[in-house]
Amino acid sequence: MKVLELKKVNKIYDGSEVPVHAVNDVSLDFDEAEFVAIVGPSGSGKTTLLNLIGGLDMPSSGEIIIDGTNLSKLKSSQLIDFRMRNIGFVFQAYNLIPVLTAKENVEFIMSLQKWPRKERDERTLELLNAVGLGDRINSRPSKLSGGQQQRVAVARALASRPKFVLADEPTANLDSKSATTLLGIMETLNHGEKITFIFSTHDPRVVKMAHRVITLEDGRVISDDVRE
Amino acid sequence: MILSISWKNIWRNKVRSLVVIVASTLGIISGVMVVGIMEGWVEQRLHDAIYNEVSHIQIHNSDYLKNEEINLTVQDTALVAEAVKQLPGLKGWVARTKMVVMANTPWANTGIFIYGIDPEREKQVSEIYKKIIPGAGNYLDKDKPGTILISDKTAEILKLKQYCLTDTVIGKLERGEFPKSVLSKLAGIKDERFRSPKDFRAILKSLLTGKELDNYGRQLMDSSLEYKIRNKIQITLSDEQGTPVQGTFRVCGIYRTTNTGFDQVTAFVNAGELAALYDGKSILIHEIAIMIEDIENAGSAKEKLSGISRHNTVSTWKELAPDAAMMNDFMIIYYFIFIGIVMFALAFGIINTMMMTILERTRELGMLMAIGMNRRRIFSMIMLETIFLTVVGAAAGMVGGWVIVMSLGKTGIHFLSWGEGFEAIGFAATVYPVITPFFFIIITIMVISTAIISSVWPARKALKLDPAEAIRTE
Repeated sequence: MKVLELKKVNKIYDGSEVPVHAVNDVSLDFDEAEFVAIVGPSGSGKTTLLNLIGGLDMPSSGEIIIDGTNLSKLKSSQLIDFRMRNIGFVFQAYNLIPVLTAKENVEFIMSLQKWPRKERDERTLELLNAVGLGDRINSRPSKLSGGQQQRVAVARALASRPKFVLADEPTANLDSKSATTLLGIMETLNHGEKITFIFSTHDPRVVKMAHRVITLEDGRVISDDVRE
Repeated sequence: MILSISWKNIWRNKVRSLVVIVASTLGIISGVMVVGIMEGWVEQRLHDAIYNEVSHIQIHNSDYLKNEEINLTVQDTALVAEAVKQLPGLKGWVARTKMVVMANTPWANTGIFIYGIDPEREKQVSEIYKKIIPGAGNYLDKDKPGTILISDKTAEILKLKQYCLTDTVIGKLERGEFPKSVLSKLAGIKDERFRSPKDFRAILKSLLTGKELDNYGRQLMDSSLEYKIRNKIQITLSDEQGTPVQGTFRVCGIYRTTNTGFDQVTAFVNAGELAALYDGKSILIHEIAIMIEDIENAGSAKEKLSGISRHNTVSTWKELAPDAAMMNDFMIIYYFIFIGIVMFALAFGIINTMMMTILERTRELGMLMAIGMNRRRIFSMIMLETIFLTVVGAAAGMVGGWVIVMSLGKTGIHFLSWGEGFEAIGFAATVYPVITPFFFIIITIMVISTAIISSVWPARKALKLDPAEAIRTE
């Protein structure tokens, strides 16, 4: 089932003297439960593409359709709400809320969505156990290692059962062991939760585990390989 | 959740938040203190104006108010008295003779108003009987004829007050562990009499150092003071035919209110004895003073009494003591002005702190926007943080201010050095600060308004962030 569709998407930054074509005529489809790596050298447009998919930025032309909704047609406030309900984010620098515990961080989106307390608690514990942090639910981010924080971030991204999760260089700040653990967890959740993961990366370990690898260069898709 | 995050956020940088909280606390404490002192003064002035000077309502012959002549008495007194008795919530009323007289002693003379009163009945409307200086005689007694009650200020003018360092005074001071070194400097003026405080203060100043004068001057003045109770004062007035008549009264007691302006022109005698002076037949009524249960009803009581005789003028305390009335009405404006200034200064500190907070949390705010926290929630979070930050300090300030005002309300704040100046305009040298719940309601509203207004700028700055860019901020 198709969860995300990009049709002839372009993004041109024309703030400077020379316009920059960051994303150039990209058309892609993503199905449910895919585990996709977007790779390419620095400046190839990976992060811009993720921002466009995540509705954090708007394309200069083309359409981005998520589960039948064209993002360009949404008003700013509708877009924020749409993001909250349909897209999970994992950031390179973890970006947890420092004053909240691991449990509170994970249940944050659910509380914004006004989930009932019982369901919220159950889902939070389920996810924190899944990422191996069932015993650290009351720890604040400052008391967790980088790998543990990123696992909390993954649990948070999945909390409200989004259509897909966007991860921008999720292992960039992690050591090898933490990165491997995180990737294992993400792959398990990808299978278990049937949620699509799309991540930009330079990390060969991530690329190795991906089921589909999209390569960008100068904003264009130069290859889209699906692995069996 | 937003509430909880906001609360936790203000404690992220404890030192910075505490600086703002302490600033709010001190600002509010100073506001509560200053307003408490002002309120204490106004309340004291209002109380003293009503209970010592003017009562709630007074009735005079309209012409008497222009020209205080003996013949210009209150008209239709029987009808007026009947109407006064019918007033709802009547606490008491008195009829007085009030005359301009010349008071003489062998040493000085002065013009004063002399009130012919029924001493016992007068207690219904006046607290002068409570103002007798300890050791300076007693209140008027109907059974002790030929006596007059004068004020401390009148005693001073008529030289019935003297300062003298006698053996008794020195012995008393020594027993009170008064420094002998200071007393030895005063040996030269032992048993010497000074008839004015000014002269005595001047001699003390010439004999003592500035520090000794500051530390012991007041104690020396108070201890050395003697009143010439039982001394005679000769009163001269014009009778109904305009013929000067004279009478002699012995001082029975000396009172002192907080208003030397009132004190220096006011003395009291038994009404019957005054009447004996001017014609010996009847007591003339120049003034009717009325006290009611509720000060707020003074206006309606005036309306009821005004129609009885067109020759009389009925005045409420607001007309009789316009200074006190003006201050009473002005207090609410004063609250707003003073607390407004404190809040205005505070707002800059709050805005600065919140702007720094926004700057430091750019990436976090970008992340919150990215994961779905909408503008309304971001705005609410920043506003709540500002409100918490301000309200915590304000609450501490209100509690602190209230505790200080309550304790000072019991002990009083003594402005003895400026006492003479204060009392010249009707204010006590010792003020007992008071604070009303209404004031705290005003502060609370103003604090929350300040916090909301102060949060707008930082919150707008946060809302302008582009989440995609903010997330990449280092």
